[in-house]
Amino acid sequence: MTPRSRWTPLLIFGLCLAAAALYASPAMAWLLHPATAIARDVRGLFYKAVGVTAFFFILAEGILLVAVLKFRAKPGVPAAKWHENVRLEIVWTVIPALAMVILSGPSFTTEKYMDVIPKSDLQIEIVGHQWFWEYRYPKDGIIFANEPLVLPAGKTISANITSIDVVHSWFVPDFGIKMDANPGRINHVWFDVDKPGTYKGQCAELCGVLHAQMFITVNVVTPEEFARWIEQKKKGA
Amino acid sequence: MEAGTIARPVTSHGAAVSHAKPRTGILKWLLTTDHKLIGVMYIWLAFFFFGVAGIFAMVMRAQLSAPGLHVVPPEIYNQIMSLHGTFMVFFFTIPIMAGIANYVVPIQIGARDMAFPRINAVSFWMLVPAGLFMLVSLFLKSGSAAAGWTSYPPLTSREYSPGPGIDLWILGLHLAGAASIMGAINFVVTILNLRAPGMSMMKMPMFCWNVIITQTIILFATPVLAGALTMLLTDRMFGTSFFHPQAGGDPVLWQHLFWFYSHPAVYIMVLPGMGMVSQILPAFSGKHLFGYKGMVLATAGIGFIGYLVWGHHMFATGMDPKLRQFFSFASMVIAVPTGIKIWSWLATIWGGSIRFKTPMLFALGFIGLFIIGGITGVWLALVPFDVQVHDTYFVVAHLHYVLFGGSLMSIMAGIYYWFPKISGKLYNEFWGKVHFWLTFVGMNLTFMPMHAMGMLGMPRRIYTYRPEFAVWNHIASAGAAILGVGMLIFALNMLLSLWRGKPSPPDPWAHEDQTRTLEWTVSSPPPAENFHTIPVIR
Repeated sequence: MTPRSRWTPLLIFGLCLAAAALYASPAMAWLLHPATAIARDVRGLFYKAVGVTAFFFILAEGILLVAVLKFRAKPGVPAAKWHENVRLEIVWTVIPALAMVILSGPSFTTEKYMDVIPKSDLQIEIVGHQWFWEYRYPKDGIIFANEPLVLPAGKTISANITSIDVVHSWFVPDFGIKMDANPGRINHVWFDVDKPGTYKGQCAELCGVLHAQMFITVNVVTPEEFARWIEQKKKGA
Repeated sequence: MEAGTIARPVTSHGAAVSHAKPRTGILKWLLTTDHKLIGVMYIWLAFFFFGVAGIFAMVMRAQLSAPGLHVVPPEIYNQIMSLHGTFMVFFFTIPIMAGIANYVVPIQIGARDMAFPRINAVSFWMLVPAGLFMLVSLFLKSGSAAAGWTSYPPLTSREYSPGPGIDLWILGLHLAGAASIMGAINFVVTILNLRAPGMSMMKMPMFCWNVIITQTIILFATPVLAGALTMLLTDRMFGTSFFHPQAGGDPVLWQHLFWFYSHPAVYIMVLPGMGMVSQILPAFSGKHLFGYKGMVLATAGIGFIGYLVWGHHMFATGMDPKLRQFFSFASMVIAVPTGIKIWSWLATIWGGSIRFKTPMLFALGFIGLFIIGGITGVWLALVPFDVQVHDTYFVVAHLHYVLFGGSLMSIMAGIYYWFPKISGKLYNEFWGKVHFWLTFVGMNLTFMPMHAMGMLGMPRRIYTYRPEFAVWNHIASAGAAILGVGMLIFALNMLLSLWRGKPSPPDPWAHEDQTRTLEWTVSSPPPAENFHTIPVIR
């Protein structure tokens, strides 16, 4: 091999790793668009996780790349003989372990924030069916299916989620909410959507042939519009 | 070693069968109890299913190459998606690891065969009908299993999956599971009892350590899967209601039982590959494996903690928060022993004299890709982030960095490494390298964009998707095409090399100053019963 052709594959390898490193960096944060306090916390946690793990990622892939470039077999240069170093092994056991303990802190905090359901302004019920969602507003006696869920912005909403047939999962990415709809069980989530708008999601648990068509649309409107919508719905029903 | 004295006389006389006149033709394969022939049959069978599951993957990527396509109808998509997972896990990765271990382990420990040669043959032959059940179900009018490789009830109950596809899937897995439990007993007994004189456990090649730890995991985890499958089968066939909510059952119970097996199964699929990499890196960098004792402890640690983390597949089921925190932290802890292995591999090649043969390229690629899968694994252990991306393409990306970047890259490394030993022929190095680069580039092009799809909110297991995910899917499908070309080159290279490759010396990878494992001291392929006289290890 000529020196040039020898370096080409390594260059490609390096570029792939650089792309991977770039990918894992916060520069890719536009992939998450949080619209609730929970989703913002999830994104914050994601940044922290990237921050802590990026150190190990760059270190490990970097050592791999340098070793591959530097220690190519050359005539007359024998391989090193060492193959043990207890101090080094202790270091690379203890430091990652500490990093995991540190990272678990913010994770547990966010988890607790998600799990403790605060006093809500509006309670709804979500029921999964093959292959559509049924929504209920028990206080107002409204039940409908196959049309967008309508919610007020800036209010705390709690939802009871279940299923009538197989396991589904109610998933709206921008809310940071995903909860399985299990038949025979009722699961609870809460969220508050900052701004009016249309938010899209879909069923996240394989539920049969038309799993891919089990969409979720949430129309978030101002509280005034919401009150009007409720009145309309009541009359219509 | 007490146990060794019991079993050794049996092997030094050799199995009774081997004194008979050597068989030829098809009977040689059908009736053999030779671990080498059985190992080769495992490898062929596994590659057959790899081809089938690989074609399924290509069809899926064709269907998903743009939104709204109709390459296959939704019900067919769900079937090939389910069987892609089932075949890759139970009929490719696990059997090929068993096959390579079957061939290599007895020779590496200086034994003439496995401890129970006939059970070994039974284990292999049970896999054949198991796979046939699955294949046949594809041709049923009602179709094969179509509820993913995880088969969550109630979708898999009689009510929602009335056809016999799920029943055949259950029976197939039952047989494969029973085969794998018998194989596990065989491997554990073989490694504990049949080591050559002087080969203490701590002198065993690293691959053997990884195999015995893997097989121990199989021994304790697979019966739980068998139990769960039996419950699902009686629910479907005899009206029990373990998983029927209407009659007091609970579908979430299936998820617990399934993942109690299937999380350890990840380590079943990846630990033997790590063992292969631990043989290959020293062989091509001219150094000893760094930190052998630490590696053994780390592998055992992964094997043990691997039992305590199944709940991280279920963070969105509405699990008790305290339980979620336990599973979350236990999953993060696994990063520590895994990290020990990665650092030790890096220390192994550091300061070495590296020869970039195809097995080495795949082993290095394995490290680079497995690090990515490990890091996204730590992210997924964090409950809030997991809930965000659970059951999306992010998880598909993560699991393929672990099982493609990890298991498959190490399997390829192992296949190239031992190909000359097993076949007695040398493969074509140039095409091996082309295969590596197409695989490495294609793999990243296919699976890296899936992280983005998942974070944007594209669920997994959907036959079509909303237009906003299109760009990433175009890239992934292009990557899959590159992978497909790479695998065709691999198949051609292997077949042509088998047919007319140059004969291989006992150790084609020989290099000065190296300690080599026992399989390289005998001819390629090794003689009947492996050794003329059992070697004594000092």
